[in-house]
Amino acid sequence: MIIGIDVGGTHADGVRLEGEDVVAKKKVDVDHNNLKETIITLLKALLPENRADLQRIQLSTTLCTNAIIKNQLDDVGMFIQAGPGMNPEFLNCGRHTYFQSGALDHRGQVQRAPSEKEILAAASTLRAEGINSIGVVTKFSYRNNTHELWMRDRLADRFSHISMGHRLSGMPNFPRRVYTTWLNSGLMTRFSAFKAAMEEGLRSLDINCPCSILKADGGTIPFASGCEFPCQSIHSGPSASVMGALALYKDLKDTVLLDIGGTTTDISIFADGVPLLEPYGATVAGRPTLIRALQTRSIGLGGDSRTAWRNGTFIIGPENGGPPMSLGGTSPTPTDAMVLLGQLHIGSVEKAREAMRLLDPSRSAEETAAALLHCFAEKAHDAATEMLDEVFQRPVFTVSALLEREKIQPNQLIAIGGPAAAMQGYLTKRFGLDCIVPQDYEVANAIGAARARLTLQASLYADTKSGRLSIPECSISEPTGRNFTMMAAETRLASAIQTMAANMGMGEIPPIDIIERLEMNTVSGFSTTGKIINVKAQLRPGLANVKE
Amino acid sequence: MPKAPNSVGLVLFPAFDWCISPSHPEREERLLYTKDQIIEEGLEDVGNIRFFNPELALEEDVNRVHLCVPSARRLLTDSHFISAGGAIRAARAVFDKEVEKAFAVVRPPGHHAMQTVFGDRGFCVVNIEAIMVEYIRRHYGIRKIAIIDTDCHHGDGTQDIFYNDPDTLFISLHQDGRTLYPGSGFLHESGGPSAPGYTINIPLPPRTSEEGFDMVMDRVVLPVLDDFGPELIINSAGQDNHYTDPITNMNFTAQGYARLNRNLNPDICVLEGGYSIEGALPYTNLGIILAMAGLDTSHVREPDYDPDMLRQSAETSRYIADICSQARQLYHDRDIMRQQFLDRKTVVENKQLFYDTTGFHVNETRTYHLCPQCPGYTEVSSGGRNRHLQAFCIPFNSCRTCQTAARDRFARTPKAHDIMIVLQDRVADIYEKK
Repeated sequence: MIIGIDVGGTHADGVRLEGEDVVAKKKVDVDHNNLKETIITLLKALLPENRADLQRIQLSTTLCTNAIIKNQLDDVGMFIQAGPGMNPEFLNCGRHTYFQSGALDHRGQVQRAPSEKEILAAASTLRAEGINSIGVVTKFSYRNNTHELWMRDRLADRFSHISMGHRLSGMPNFPRRVYTTWLNSGLMTRFSAFKAAMEEGLRSLDINCPCSILKADGGTIPFASGCEFPCQSIHSGPSASVMGALALYKDLKDTVLLDIGGTTTDISIFADGVPLLEPYGATVAGRPTLIRALQTRSIGLGGDSRTAWRNGTFIIGPENGGPPMSLGGTSPTPTDAMVLLGQLHIGSVEKAREAMRLLDPSRSAEETAAALLHCFAEKAHDAATEMLDEVFQRPVFTVSALLEREKIQPNQLIAIGGPAAAMQGYLTKRFGLDCIVPQDYEVANAIGAARARLTLQASLYADTKSGRLSIPECSISEPTGRNFTMMAAETRLASAIQTMAANMGMGEIPPIDIIERLEMNTVSGFSTTGKIINVKAQLRPGLANVKE
Repeated sequence: MPKAPNSVGLVLFPAFDWCISPSHPEREERLLYTKDQIIEEGLEDVGNIRFFNPELALEEDVNRVHLCVPSARRLLTDSHFISAGGAIRAARAVFDKEVEKAFAVVRPPGHHAMQTVFGDRGFCVVNIEAIMVEYIRRHYGIRKIAIIDTDCHHGDGTQDIFYNDPDTLFISLHQDGRTLYPGSGFLHESGGPSAPGYTINIPLPPRTSEEGFDMVMDRVVLPVLDDFGPELIINSAGQDNHYTDPITNMNFTAQGYARLNRNLNPDICVLEGGYSIEGALPYTNLGIILAMAGLDTSHVREPDYDPDMLRQSAETSRYIADICSQARQLYHDRDIMRQQFLDRKTVVENKQLFYDTTGFHVNETRTYHLCPQCPGYTEVSSGGRNRHLQAFCIPFNSCRTCQTAARDRFARTPKAHDIMIVLQDRVADIYEKK
């Protein structure tokens, strides 16, 4: 049995699954000041009689997302080695940023050593200011982590938390690496405290099964590892709902998922049944990161969007217009149109009629309402189309990839959230696709959390001329022979991923996908000197197999 | 993330699966480190910088510019259509107002490809800038265009294609042809009879450094541009003037390329050569992009950059100053030079072209049919590798009389089994073969 819990903005939902079946469910209000208590209350209601039947607990929590929104991050001392390139001054990680000398180049070759004097001077200042969390990042550390390790070694005995860029992602993109490292460090204290509280709570309930948390990429990470990478638990809410859709509908091919709320609509896409990931990572508090995340596009369009009729068109959103008039508000919203047309059975129909008249006095209220909901569907459709275009337009770098790329043509639509049922007909018409509106979707988020499995991504970079290969995500840097091949690289990377997964407690390891292969001869003068081999592989987001 | 003052589109297409041959300078690896640097810098996230995939140029885009023997389809690979399509995509991004400026970082390059194409010359089969220029003229009605070629090798292909067009100002800065491929690009090659002074070659001595390029910019390029008043400025942005380039002998730098582009302020850049793929291209390309975007370039320095080691001699400076004043004079005298040809009906030029990649010669005769109203039409007769071509080419800016004359000549030329007879009509946008 598995317990899945999804902590949302106002409610927290939990389910207990036996195989794929929900055998218990519970909803409680969320106390954001004491998340642990909220979770423990849910657990008490969901625990099986025999504790030993419980295989694991999986948790999607708003802890880190909220800490970021409420600006409750630790002050972080950032050590940044930028080397040649863009002026790094724009990197905004708070007041304690120290740019370090030293440089690595694009091949990971050391061009200039870092300075011991600089780093020690900065460390003393940070100690004096009471800073405890440190982030260490160099440009190109995904090619060569030695400078990050060198800096860590000089700081390790003076500070309690040190996050290093190369451990958080093997992807390129230096500013994102900096921001990811900064966030990760800033979340350390809060996450550790939460973990300690949870562990105590679980002990008090006599629970000793493994506990994982949901990540932004639709996968899970064990609580223990989460402590090293707390940033990965941001945006777990949207990923719970995507995984929920995956759990509820077996045969998702190319699907658009619309999560329609009061203020925003979140759009996600499945291609051949697999949710799409951001090319690099999530954007958090306006900063791009390398936190692997499902791709979601959020638009300011919802049931309570501020609505106006101007020059023959509706303007809906992006801001929230307060409660709908049918529920006692003062300005018209799409919800009023739904109420008037009998699609939503809440509030006052008369007030809803008044709202539509206010919007456009020249037509009947019913006509206005229908036109408004058409326009709502139109905007959702435009945003989804734009998102599909963007996915299609992601940069490619080879002739074959350019010639072979294909646009995703969705074959169905799933709409969830409060206004979803009311919008079903309009969405079906506008998208020209079947639109499914599942019932009782909040529970689906918890099911999604319960059914998610461990995900991992790692990349291998080998430069046979320099005779080294690296897998940054697990700090592997080892010698390699001149005759190293792509096949050997794939095997090496797969075994590294298996080791990482096993260390995180995953028993049965699902197939490893190779998601990128690049092999290229390096030439000096007119003769081949070696090969660069770059492979990226993942345990893709998906559902854990359930044993009946 | 920072937001660039100028919006810039990047068509970054390294074609990792295409090469001339595995150890050729034009090989898969060429833009690997450039791409790595650009991606690691996070340019995809910088506000106002947008990435575009290239599109495939169409055969008609190629035929608008080139006379391919036997045909474009036979001579070009997908990569060539993509590289030309990358330049076109950059232009569309600018003219469709998606961005203010654009840079096509694509390969293979094109500036050695001449109007007639029998094969690969100097790593180029088709001239991607020229294809872009005529695409722009066709689709956006732009007339006056300036192309500044800052590749270390003379842009002989681009010169050849626009040689007789007074609406295209072509300025090439390059290492002196006596010391480097393709061996041309001297001051006296200054434009055809209808466009004298509109081709300006600046042959620079080996080891020219930042100050030399600055001098050419200040004394020739910027004032001439100012006078010409183009609607569009294109930089053929080859980067092999770099001090680490393995096949040239110059001392230019990333800082220099960035400054040159900031001063030139081109609307569109198209990558040409540049074969120091590790030590130069990642930095020079980044410098050019940041300069176009109006962002700070002061940190874009090669790891071993030392301006004191790269100073040019006083003699070199004097030599370049002299070249600059001669070049200015040529442009200044352009109307006088044009007068000399006004009483002539035709001017005939012969040349022999060497296709270095596979190694064969083509003999070409070009007859300019002059006209006092327009640049006239051109007749091209060319042969090599047992293939022959006779073509009548109507430029986009020709008058009705010349258009009719060229079309008549084409119609009256009898079909022959061993000669490809072509009408290339840029006014009607027709390419006809018989």
